[in-house]
Amino acid sequence: MKSISLYEEKNSTLNHLDSGCKMLYMVAAILVPALIGNKWANVAVIILSVFLLAISKVLRKTVPVLSVSGIVILTIVIIQGMFRAGNTTVVLQLGPAAFYKEGLLYSLGIALNVFNILLAICVLIFTTKPSDMVENFIEKGFSPRLGYVFISIFQIIPQMMETMNTITDAQRSRGMETEGSLLVRIKAFLPLISPVVMSSLVDTKERAIALEVRGFNAKTKKTFLNERKVTTTDKIINLLLIAAVLASVAWRVKLWLG
Amino acid sequence: MMGRLEIRDLHFSYTENEEILKGIDLVLDQQSTAIIGQNGAGKTTFVKLLKGLLQPTSGKIVYNGTDLSSMTVAQIAKHIGMVFQNPNDQIFKNSVIDEVMFGPMQVGMSKEEAKVHAMDALEMVGMEKKCKVNPYDLGLSERKLISIAAILAMDPEVIIFDEPTIAQDYAGKKCIGEIVEHLRNQGKLVLTIIHDMDFVAEHFDRAVVFAKGGVLLDGNPEKVFSRAEILEKAFLEQPNVTRLCHALGYEETFLTTDDFVEYKKGQ
Ligand SMILES: Nc1ncnc2c1ncn2[C@@H]1O[C@H](COP(=O)(O)OP(=O)(O)O)[C@@H](O)[C@H]1O
Ligand SMILES: [Mg+2]
Repeated sequence: MKSISLYEEKNSTLNHLDSGCKMLYMVAAILVPALIGNKWANVAVIILSVFLLAISKVLRKTVPVLSVSGIVILTIVIIQGMFRAGNTTVVLQLGPAAFYKEGLLYSLGIALNVFNILLAICVLIFTTKPSDMVENFIEKGFSPRLGYVFISIFQIIPQMMETMNTITDAQRSRGMETEGSLLVRIKAFLPLISPVVMSSLVDTKERAIALEVRGFNAKTKKTFLNERKVTTTDKIINLLLIAAVLASVAWRVKLWLG
Repeated sequence: MMGRLEIRDLHFSYTENEEILKGIDLVLDQQSTAIIGQNGAGKTTFVKLLKGLLQPTSGKIVYNGTDLSSMTVAQIAKHIGMVFQNPNDQIFKNSVIDEVMFGPMQVGMSKEEAKVHAMDALEMVGMEKKCKVNPYDLGLSERKLISIAAILAMDPEVIIFDEPTIAQDYAGKKCIGEIVEHLRNQGKLVLTIIHDMDFVAEHFDRAVVFAKGGVLLDGNPEKVFSRAEILEKAFLEQPNVTRLCHALGYEETFLTTDDFVEYKKGQ
């Protein structure tokens, strides 16, 4: 079955790191530049994230994420660069379109923030198994039911996509056109959607029974199949990350007071 | 018209680094043919190629002189019908008759024509009395028969079944076996992916064994099922009667109980 999870086992250093550690990295990577409030802090963290993604061999997987958001960012840059209130200094004249320094700088700030946040999230989700993350939360007292809902999204969506493909094939096999104009596609939709819904309902019922017979709702304290191993390295990294966040909080406070 | 499929050096892969079909050469006509092979051997992939649902990476499939790659899936559907493994993937109308008329109307039959074909098809599967029922009120085995009728009603020259006997009781199997033979006698080309070797022995003229993306054995069931060692290597077993008689020390290959009984009576 195709997986929609973006995680891929590459046996990299980050794969072996505890999931808590990577979650903390994501939080710190987003918080620290925001607290420091300096573009260069953003740039530094972006470089760090890119480095981490590269040594985990998943840098290429960020391309679709970055290119989609890149298009959105580009429109922001164009609109802010041309029309932002307070634009005075022209830096670029392309025919009738003038780009202003103030608007461009402002949108650069947005772009750096967005890319930083995206890359930080990528570091976490490209290198961490979703179920590891959820188990980590559940260990800390998060509800197993919600945890299950979260994990099952990763299973149910690919399953539905697969069912959808099979059903599309089955209907095309009966001479139905599923490709072509919008009208053709809409007409094709109904025969496709009702079997998908029906089979999802059946699947859901069976899944619920399967869970129940294995004691999902049992009230006893449960143990974990996969013991989490928090190594010394994990602990040191956690400490460094916390220190970085605290230091930037201190910096911010000092700025306020000063 | 007879359907004839020529498969020439057919290669296919889903992903770059794993070839699923590694050069298949087959001519399929007249004989009802069972495609057998271990899970993952590439049987479903093969029949999807025959339906135009997938495109060969190289090689070609020629249907009655026309290269399939020059036809759309909808055009192919007129000539080559396929019954999917799970009837739930196919059924979506609220009454059996509407469901069975959907395909014929898609391939250009008029409503009246479609109705005639649909009733004929329902009769062939023994479901003509259920034509007003909602398919979801039927059991799985009856729904399977509906999904078969839905393809038969389109009157294709080639009919492919993907594992038709799964989850069928004895009566259902018997009915499907009769359908296979009936279609063959009508001059249709019947192809069936199947794991039930007794069913193959009973109802098919030809068996093609797929293994690791190629054809391992091809011939009449007697010939194919006599090759116990090769079958074993492909993780397949002989029909029960064949195994029993072999274990009892008979030299001949018996495929069905009837074969053996006749032999014993003749002695
Ligand atoms: N949509 C797909 N994408 C990638 N690989 C697939 C897909 N469908 C099937 N396969 C792979 O192709 C091989 C053959 O599958 P299939 O044709 O379904 O075998 P069979 O029907 O003989 O059991 C299997 O190894 C399977 O994992
Ligand atoms: Mg299959």
